[in-house]
Amino acid sequence: MSIAASSHNSNSVAKEMITVEIILFATLRDKYGRRRLVVECDGTVRNLIENAARKLGQSFLTSVYDIRRDKVREDLIFAINGRNIKDIKDKIELKNSDVIAVFPPVAGG
Amino acid sequence: MARGFMGKILRVDLTAKSIITEEVDEKIARKYLGGKGYGVYLLYQYIKEFATRGISAKDMDPLGSDNPLIFMTGPGTGIAGFPSSGRHHLMALKSPLTGSIASSNSGGTWGATLKFAGFDGIIVEGASDVPVYLSIVDGKAQLRDAGDLWGKNTFDTTRILKTVVGRKQASVMCIGTAGENLVPMAVIMNDDHRALGRAGVGAIMGSKGLKAVVVAGNEKVPYAKMAEFVPISKRCLEAIEKNAVTGEGLPAYGTAVLVNVINTAGSLPYKNWQTSVNPDAEKISGEALAEKYLTKKGACWGCNIACGRITSVKSGPYQILASEGPEYESIWSLGSATAVKDLDAITKANHYCDEFGLDPISVGSTIAAAMELHEKKYIPEDDLQGLDLSFGNAAAMVESVWRIAHKTGFGKYMAPGSRKLCEFYGHPELSMSVKGLEMPAYDPRGIKGIGLNYATSNRGGCHVTGYTIAPEIVGIPEKIDPLVTEGKAQWVKIFQDVASMVNSTVNCLFTTFAISTADYAELLSAVTGWDISDAEILKIGERIYNLERVVMNRLGIDGKDDTLPARLLNDPLPEGPAKGQVANLDKMIGEYYKLRGWVDGVPTAAKLKELEIVL
Repeated sequence: MSIAASSHNSNSVAKEMITVEIILFATLRDKYGRRRLVVECDGTVRNLIENAARKLGQSFLTSVYDIRRDKVREDLIFAINGRNIKDIKDKIELKNSDVIAVFPPVAGG
Repeated sequence: MARGFMGKILRVDLTAKSIITEEVDEKIARKYLGGKGYGVYLLYQYIKEFATRGISAKDMDPLGSDNPLIFMTGPGTGIAGFPSSGRHHLMALKSPLTGSIASSNSGGTWGATLKFAGFDGIIVEGASDVPVYLSIVDGKAQLRDAGDLWGKNTFDTTRILKTVVGRKQASVMCIGTAGENLVPMAVIMNDDHRALGRAGVGAIMGSKGLKAVVVAGNEKVPYAKMAEFVPISKRCLEAIEKNAVTGEGLPAYGTAVLVNVINTAGSLPYKNWQTSVNPDAEKISGEALAEKYLTKKGACWGCNIACGRITSVKSGPYQILASEGPEYESIWSLGSATAVKDLDAITKANHYCDEFGLDPISVGSTIAAAMELHEKKYIPEDDLQGLDLSFGNAAAMVESVWRIAHKTGFGKYMAPGSRKLCEFYGHPELSMSVKGLEMPAYDPRGIKGIGLNYATSNRGGCHVTGYTIAPEIVGIPEKIDPLVTEGKAQWVKIFQDVASMVNSTVNCLFTTFAISTADYAELLSAVTGWDISDAEILKIGERIYNLERVVMNRLGIDGKDDTLPARLLNDPLPEGPAKGQVANLDKMIGEYYKLRGWVDGVPTAAKLKELEIVL
């Protein structure tokens, strides 16, 4: 664990950095050539995805995040410890060792 | 007759060896469409007719000659441009597995080809004293001797009959060893790897001595308003192609991609539902299937989704040069439910299910139940005859499939399905079934709406009766929280009604990820010439579901049967994101009945009148 400034603004209040595991599934694996990666972030989802994009390439940011609406893309399944982010009503603050699962639009039956 | 129909149904009496052609009743088709709806209507007429002869449907032997088999297509079947329209539906009055109504739907090419041969459906009555098959080619239907086919597996039967007919476009629907052996989990296969898969319909066909139905023809299905149909069709097909699920997710990975999705949600049943987090899910996932087994993709007739997986196991003891699947449900039942993590073995077992004609959901679930019975030492070793049914034993799982089909060794005990197996050993609570039908691959403790659907599904533990996984997990048409109960009753009702409609037009339920009931109303209006609205099409779906419920009530099935296994109601999930959760059926079913206009699982007279159901 480390203490660092926010990725958005180096003058902002320093936040405790945490370590989160991201698991990619389905076509995202093919696209980014990775199944798992460990990413440091300030506990916000946006910062997590921005930092992941630094490892995977900037297209990851737009693949996963709707920048205009400042939220995870609607058509993805983005789960924090198994709970879809859309089902979490409280303010989201990621914690150390959280596991993030990211699926492209999928379905079956 | 409205366009979209060929206007003719064959009525085949196997006892008398007679075949007559009847006209499709347009008034009935307007109220119930084709497929499931028309079939449900006919089943109710059978109940009335049986009553006049003093026959009680409730007491009828499902494998007796009175149980009719009704194969139906719909006004959407076989029409190029009507999305995913190669399907057919089967209704039978009584399932040998459940004692409830039997309803099943299959893809492939058979449904479309039956219409090209000149017919909308086939009603099969009676039973033949010798094996026969039905040949329907260019409008001519004949019963032929099947003595040489009896005993052959589904792939051989298909190949032989296509050769006999001598037409490349011929399509064969048949039973395999399991259907001949009257295994209550037997399916009716078509086009090698597609199936009327649930409720043991293959055993009913076997009881009638009917080995196969081969169809071929070149007739065109008539349209009412071609000029109107073309742009609607174009719009719908484009919507399917552009939709993230039907245009990207399903074509890329098929249904098996759900293994990791559902496991991540903590709802992938494992070890006969003792928990629902599978530590080895990655090894049996759609991603693993695509990486090591997929050789190419396949599609049913008239489908632009192409979710089919053509696969092979390249080497080793489970080598298969060419197969199809396994789909998500088969991977789960033969793999996760049994704790088998060898995808070679799962693929082989799935192939056996197709070859011998078995339902992988019920078969895998029954093996899983046997494994838990064995784990808890409820099965005497002598009964197992050397079969080591430990959870995770891949070889025993594959061998069990073979033994069930052939009813040999411990297969005799498993062949009747999990309910009878568990009852036999004094522990009915270990059968993870609803109304005797084994539940599919979603744990209602982590996905509440699907539990309400399982409980109230007319045919028993079934996901496609009302696929609330779409909103609860995938987020289509909107995301709802799988762990809450509020509002789920309304979702379940709507999904059940929509599925009843789609199974009656007869198209693929996957289309509903991308196109709406309003689209269906437009497509149907243009094809048939009827002026049919979005609201009316939903009402038709509701009418079908209610009449099906009335038929079930006549079989003695009602609210007492609309429940879930005690494990799901009482035992909280021990781990994962849904840890501590139970199914909470009691919080939803009252609202569901209220919305349905049912009292204790029985439609009220007022509801039947509202839906214009005349009994």
